[in-house]
Amino acid sequence: MGTVHARSLDPLPMQGPELGVQADDMDLGEPEHEEKQEVLENKDVVVQHVHIDGLGRTKEDILTYEIADVFRANNLIDVMKKSHEARQKLLRLGIFRHVEVVIDTAEGTDALPNGLDVTFEVKELRRMTGSYNTMVGNNEGSMVLGLKLPNVFGRAEKLTFQFSYGTKETSYGLSLFKPQPGHFERNFSINLYKVTGQFPWSSLRETDRGVSTEFSFPIWRTNHTLKWEGVWRELGCLARTASFTVREESGHSLKSSLSHAMVIDTRNSTILPRKGALLKINQELAGYTGGDVRFLKEDFEIQLNKTLFWDSVLSTSLWGGMLLPLGERPSCIADRFYLGGPTSVRGFSMYSIGPQSEGDYLGGEAYWAGGVHLYTPLPFRPGRGGFGDLFRTHFFLNAGNLCNLNYGEGPRAHLSKLAECIRWSYGAGIVLRLGNIARLELNYCIPMGVQSGDRICDGVQFGAGIRFL
Amino acid sequence: MSLAAEAFVSQIAAAEPWPENATLYQPLKEDQILLSDSASSLAVQTFLRMCGLPVLVSCRANAEYMSPSGKVPFIHVGNQVVSELGPIVQFTKAKGHALSDGLDDVQRAEMKAYMELVNNMLLTAELYIQWCDDYTATEISRPRYSNPYSWPLNHVLAYQKQWEIRRKMNAIGWSGKNLEQVYEDVSQCCQALSQRLGTQPYFFNKQPTELDALVFGHLFTILTTQLTSDELAEKVKSYSNLLSFCHRIEQTYFKEHEREGQFGSSRHSKSSLP
Repeated sequence: MGTVHARSLDPLPMQGPELGVQADDMDLGEPEHEEKQEVLENKDVVVQHVHIDGLGRTKEDILTYEIADVFRANNLIDVMKKSHEARQKLLRLGIFRHVEVVIDTAEGTDALPNGLDVTFEVKELRRMTGSYNTMVGNNEGSMVLGLKLPNVFGRAEKLTFQFSYGTKETSYGLSLFKPQPGHFERNFSINLYKVTGQFPWSSLRETDRGVSTEFSFPIWRTNHTLKWEGVWRELGCLARTASFTVREESGHSLKSSLSHAMVIDTRNSTILPRKGALLKINQELAGYTGGDVRFLKEDFEIQLNKTLFWDSVLSTSLWGGMLLPLGERPSCIADRFYLGGPTSVRGFSMYSIGPQSEGDYLGGEAYWAGGVHLYTPLPFRPGRGGFGDLFRTHFFLNAGNLCNLNYGEGPRAHLSKLAECIRWSYGAGIVLRLGNIARLELNYCIPMGVQSGDRICDGVQFGAGIRFL
Repeated sequence: MSLAAEAFVSQIAAAEPWPENATLYQPLKEDQILLSDSASSLAVQTFLRMCGLPVLVSCRANAEYMSPSGKVPFIHVGNQVVSELGPIVQFTKAKGHALSDGLDDVQRAEMKAYMELVNNMLLTAELYIQWCDDYTATEISRPRYSNPYSWPLNHVLAYQKQWEIRRKMNAIGWSGKNLEQVYEDVSQCCQALSQRLGTQPYFFNKQPTELDALVFGHLFTILTTQLTSDELAEKVKSYSNLLSFCHRIEQTYFKEHEREGQFGSSRHSKSSLP
């Protein structure tokens, strides 16, 4: 038996943000088997040794979990398959630049005639990587400095630090991520951050300084995240002309909240999926662990996708949420929901639906929004199989409502209030997928059901974002 | 306030009469407000009463952050927000209510000079005692200032404020002073005021001006506020004409108005002078 090199098994990166056909777009087939390999297929083999070459600061104990399955293979095809899986698992840890697999006959004194040795040749990432960017936008320039220490303690822990120094705002974030050895999905992270946001639709500026700890784990087909967050929030007016209602919200508050998020995602891609469904439920309870903000917040997101004729996809989604202030203090402008804009109810300006005061949108305590999309390939399919596949045309119908609830009224009154004065819109446009994380949209929208105070965007609307209705 | 903003404000303001629901915002009276803010707030209230302009007083824990300049008090009139005595005087003047119109240029310059003296001496001394005297800062200023906030934000905000004031004191060269020197400054300031006042009812004879409102605001607050020591109040008490000046303004603008009920429910609940 000769040496079988499995180097060329799969040159695809784990998940790269680069443009092009994504791994999840292709149904990953089995490696093709030539006639020669059929002979080997049925032959029993034993994996005697697994070597990992090229380890520096990585502790071996965390790798044994990832490669353990290779020992259970009992024929050559199985060995190749298991090695391939192990390679994927090693890459997923995010601590190796590349991993190559060499399968060879066993050598040494204890070598069996049908024994195999599997060698993973790995190259670790540098101890520290840095990045430097400059950004310009919104009358503000900023410099972003990033530092990343992958595998800081040798067990796939990741420490990242990002610092942004702008002409107006400074922000930073420090985060430590630690997966459980052998269960990469079960992980723990601590974050420390300061972020500043300017929300011109509310004439509001918010500076958050906070610390959060997160624990993520899978149960069956769902992913759960438990989180505690303590944030010192500072609100202020963006301009002297801000409405007095926004001015009254200025000042400091301390939020300490426990939240739980559950996600089931069976879609084949997060942006422009062709099949599958998504269910996200998020709940947050603030005030019982300290701080001076008390509320209960629930929100959900559902998306269903189905492929129809001629590569077109029908996608429906529904969002909803409710904020219940606990105690006698009313809800804070920073906690309420906002709706409208090119990423939610199209045809309306960014977050410009619902209660407002002197042109400043105040958000609402309850909302829902739904959308139906029909995605089709570009007409005449230019650039098919390549660049053209990043584009889709879509026809959409969006609807939604945002309002405040009087909690004395009971659920029936709430529902009727949410069913009154529904904003909706329809239109068509072009969607561009940017990698697997974001998308751009250029739409022609016709807003309907406009209520007084809403700001609309009648006609062409451009949108960019990572979360879309 | 910048010149352009000032011009803009006065243009807008002139168009509308003084509304009934004009409101003055200040920190919480019982648990939060400090001597210096209380004095500034009383000065503005006195000024508005002297002008005969009704104003409701609203106490908010976040008054300092609601204010466009970050200082209290501020007034909300119509859809305008104006903070601190100087800009408020400008603002009411644009609406046609002024106290210093009867003064000639020399007197007006003199009035401005005395107002600067009060702000630079009395106000700075109050801030010094509140935040730079460790005993007062620990016993009174920090706990009161951070009263509305929960742990650990209360400590963060109080120390942040203390640091800010101390930096300011450094910048104006007060950080090297000790408490005795500050009391001495207060005494000198009072002496200057006392000499200017003489036996007149107000600083510019019969007619009250914004200077009278400012001096009353500070002196009355110093006299009626309990601090860690009585020394500050004692310095003021040694000038008898200033004491009777405070009595007079309190009688004329607060006691009488309350009796007449002209201002509805007055929230001025200070104790009377000794």
